Amino acid sequence: MAERSPPQGRLDPTRIAAATLLVGAAYLPLMGRLSPQISIFVGAVLLLRLAALRWPALTPGRWLLLPLTLAGLGVVFDAYFDFRGRDAGTSLFVVMLTLKTLELRAPRDLRLLCVLFGFLLVSHFLFDQSAWLAMYLGALLLADLALMADLTARPDRRPLYAALNLAGTLTLQALPLAIVLFLLFPRLSAPLWDLGNRAQRNVTGMGDTMEPGSVSELVVSGDPAFRARFDGAAPPQDQLYWRGLVLWDYDGRRWSRPPPGTLPEARPRLTQTAGLIGYELVLEPSGKRWVYALDLPVGPPADATLDGDFQIAAATPLTRSLRVRLVSATRYNTGPLDLDQEAAGLQLPPNVTQRMRALVTGWQAGAGSPRQVVDQALAHISSADFYYTLLPPALGDNPTDEFLFETRRGFCEHYAGAFAVLMRIAGIPARIVLGYQGAELSPWGGWYLVTQAEAHAWVEVWLQGEGWVRVDPTAAIAPQRIDRGDLFSRLSAGNPFRLQIDESGLLFRAVHGLRRLAAGTQVVWQDWVLDFSLARQEHILAAFGLAHLRQYGLALALALVVAATLVLGLLAAAMLTGEPREPLVDIYRRFCARLTRIGLPPGPGEGPQDYARRVAAARPDLAEAVAGFMADYLPARYRDGAGQAQLRGLRARLRRFRPRGR
Amino acid sequence: MHSATSPVVTKPSGRRPRAPGWPRFDALLRRAPCDAQGIARIAARQIYILPTAMGLGLGLVLTLMLVGSLNYQNNLGLLFTFLFAAVALVAMHHTWYALLGLRVQARGGAPVFAGQRASFGVDVHNDRRGPRGDLVVRVGSEDHPPVYLPGLDLARVQVGLPTARRGWLALPEVRIDTRYPLGLFRAWCYARTEARVLVYPSPARQAPELPLAPARRLGAEGGLGQGAGDFVGSRGYRPGDPPRHLDWKALARGRGLVTKQFGGDQAVEVWLDLRQVQGSDLEGRLAQLCRQVLDAAGQGLAFGLRLPGLEIPLGLGEEHRQRCLAALATYGHG
Repeated sequence: MAERSPPQGRLDPTRIAAATLLVGAAYLPLMGRLSPQISIFVGAVLLLRLAALRWPALTPGRWLLLPLTLAGLGVVFDAYFDFRGRDAGTSLFVVMLTLKTLELRAPRDLRLLCVLFGFLLVSHFLFDQSAWLAMYLGALLLADLALMADLTARPDRRPLYAALNLAGTLTLQALPLAIVLFLLFPRLSAPLWDLGNRAQRNVTGMGDTMEPGSVSELVVSGDPAFRARFDGAAPPQDQLYWRGLVLWDYDGRRWSRPPPGTLPEARPRLTQTAGLIGYELVLEPSGKRWVYALDLPVGPPADATLDGDFQIAAATPLTRSLRVRLVSATRYNTGPLDLDQEAAGLQLPPNVTQRMRALVTGWQAGAGSPRQVVDQALAHISSADFYYTLLPPALGDNPTDEFLFETRRGFCEHYAGAFAVLMRIAGIPARIVLGYQGAELSPWGGWYLVTQAEAHAWVEVWLQGEGWVRVDPTAAIAPQRIDRGDLFSRLSAGNPFRLQIDESGLLFRAVHGLRRLAAGTQVVWQDWVLDFSLARQEHILAAFGLAHLRQYGLALALALVVAATLVLGLLAAAMLTGEPREPLVDIYRRFCARLTRIGLPPGPGEGPQDYARRVAAARPDLAEAVAGFMADYLPARYRDGAGQAQLRGLRARLRRFRPRGR
Repeated sequence: MHSATSPVVTKPSGRRPRAPGWPRFDALLRRAPCDAQGIARIAARQIYILPTAMGLGLGLVLTLMLVGSLNYQNNLGLLFTFLFAAVALVAMHHTWYALLGLRVQARGGAPVFAGQRASFGVDVHNDRRGPRGDLVVRVGSEDHPPVYLPGLDLARVQVGLPTARRGWLALPEVRIDTRYPLGLFRAWCYARTEARVLVYPSPARQAPELPLAPARRLGAEGGLGQGAGDFVGSRGYRPGDPPRHLDWKALARGRGLVTKQFGGDQAVEVWLDLRQVQGSDLEGRLAQLCRQVLDAAGQGLAFGLRLPGLEIPLGLGEEHRQRCLAALATYGHG
């Protein structure tokens, strides 16, 4: 087809200014994420564009556009030494789109810019997927469509209103179709390619080792770690131990996982389980493979493995959020202990001191069984002046000894680490478990949110006949010795501390409530938009009894689009070609329909009067109602015309007219 | 005078070169027929639609967005991609709908000489409450600038066609294009029209001397011409009239430029006859005759026209001149 020459040879400045501002607005969220020099270049080009509108002499000619383009390439390469990858790729696209604003000559240039703008919008979601950003970008998309609409048809009166109105109408009409496509369009189960190293940045998560102080950084973070939804009732808070990884080795300062190969590969073994709970987890990207399961998972979820320590590792590091289904037992017995495990669980650090041994010997003297030794140790923590604080004093060469006998201030890591060492001295196999404790119910969706502030460490001891038993020495601290001095650090953490803390402060509650609301919104967002996956798609199809059509998803989506297109088109055609709706005709048609239902249809070509006479003869009981209707209808239809009052009267008659067959 | 099915005399010339298949393809498309009043109403089956280059470009960008979002399993990206795609699909319906139910009527303008542009008025009625944007009326290979048509309104568009030959020039159809609302799709339709414009022969440069016949008594009226004798009436000003014959009083009264006519003592009558014009082909002779008609009328001479099978008696004035020219234009065409 011959392309029509542009109606107006040149673009008017308001449109160019609008497009420039639009590109600027779309760049704003990227500003903090791309290299500063990209921002400077983009800002400078946009300013030049706006200045050139005011002083046209500044408009760069083609001779300047080429060097500018090369400069843009140079800026990007200087920042990233590459044109591939998420940041460099996005930067390159933004720079080129910005330069395009300098070259808006004809309407088709602007239209091209508007089309490419969609790509810019979508590239934001590689960086951030929050609901706010999506709303902001949605508004920009609307503005983009309005600009396109204005370019095609601009009325003389109120052009801005007309363009926005049109864009809004189009978007509203498109929304149902977009949602259907979103729900039904087939998803890939694995990426086709990867821009690479985007998982290694800014990921907070739990370390693989434990050294007093290393968890404190996580504690003050209110970032969500994962969310859980239970199939039935949730277990009580003091049972919500989310198990992560298990540490065996202690060198006197640091607890760590045994090097590969030192412990033989063991299979998870459970001789007894009870209190099974099914639940769903959504894990935030952590860059690690650990999946935190409620103590104690009975089997691995799909695409993950469960090892002998009941650690669950996903097949690949969590670079995106991961949704898994799990079943855990709240009461269990892990059965007997291997020799290797016993040796590892009793291995002592080189820096065990005499007073530590003396402490343990004292407990053993008064206890008849390992279980009683454990109880004595917990009683010691409770009765001696141990304090819980997030800001413990620094510890020297022998942290365990110093903590137990001198500072006596610390948090879960200090307590768990010291407790495990003491148990090993007493000859009870012990190991450290890193994970999370507690969860908070979100306002919506029945989801429990677990934040990084709930990171925790506890101890497992092996007892004859009971298997590995969870012991949380931190919970044994007397409540009055929990440090309340750091209210503001808890506020920033955004979560009530799991050991009962006075939460009555108004400020605390207000801030906390807001955070809960935000977290709840985030859950719905996460649930329905970000995590919408193959599995959930299957779920929806199954709800409509279409599960078996899943593999035809693409065809189904396309068929729906075609069907929607046809229906829309036919509706429009019917609206236009159908005879205009005359209210009186409509009323008479309904009147006839009611009589037809009782076996008295109007004859072909039979006028209302003849019809009424025939009905009255056939059904004398209806004669009065029919005559009343006709007394109103005939004059309105054939003589006086129908005003609002007549129409209302006729409709009222029609409502009362409910003939029954005999 | 002529039936509505008079043959198309002139093919628009100067058509932009197109891919060879296109005119034939266009000829296959359905046209919206005229009713008795010469109004064509665009129905659903007469509207054609294709994506524009920009629409195809958007398709490409959307495909990239889709593949990218799918690859990174980025649901928000997918949502935006689908929203943009759905907007484009909805816009496609709007494009189609912008033409649906339009009423189109064309009227022919004043007669022209072959070689001049024939002008037509095309009325486009919008019977809908809502506006229709970006309507482009296309005649031949020329587009009228886009029209924004508010609800329940009428747009009147003047279009022109080049002419090459004498006779009736019919405007068989007009094409109406739209890219409303986003410029991603182009819908078009053809509406038949009954409009036509009479094309006079192109006057020859040179023509034989007017065959001035000896003066003859014209009764009490006297001869009408440019003589300087008695005032015999007035007529509308024509370029070339001597300024001293202008009726200044009439001008002062607001009647415009009027030339006073004076009967001369040497009144002549002129008979223009096709048979007396030499030439090899009919068109050339008609062109010469046309020049003679113009000359005679220009000099204010009373003249008559004789064509085989047709004689227009002696006469004067604009109406007579047009009648003679029309006879020349349609001579031999029935």
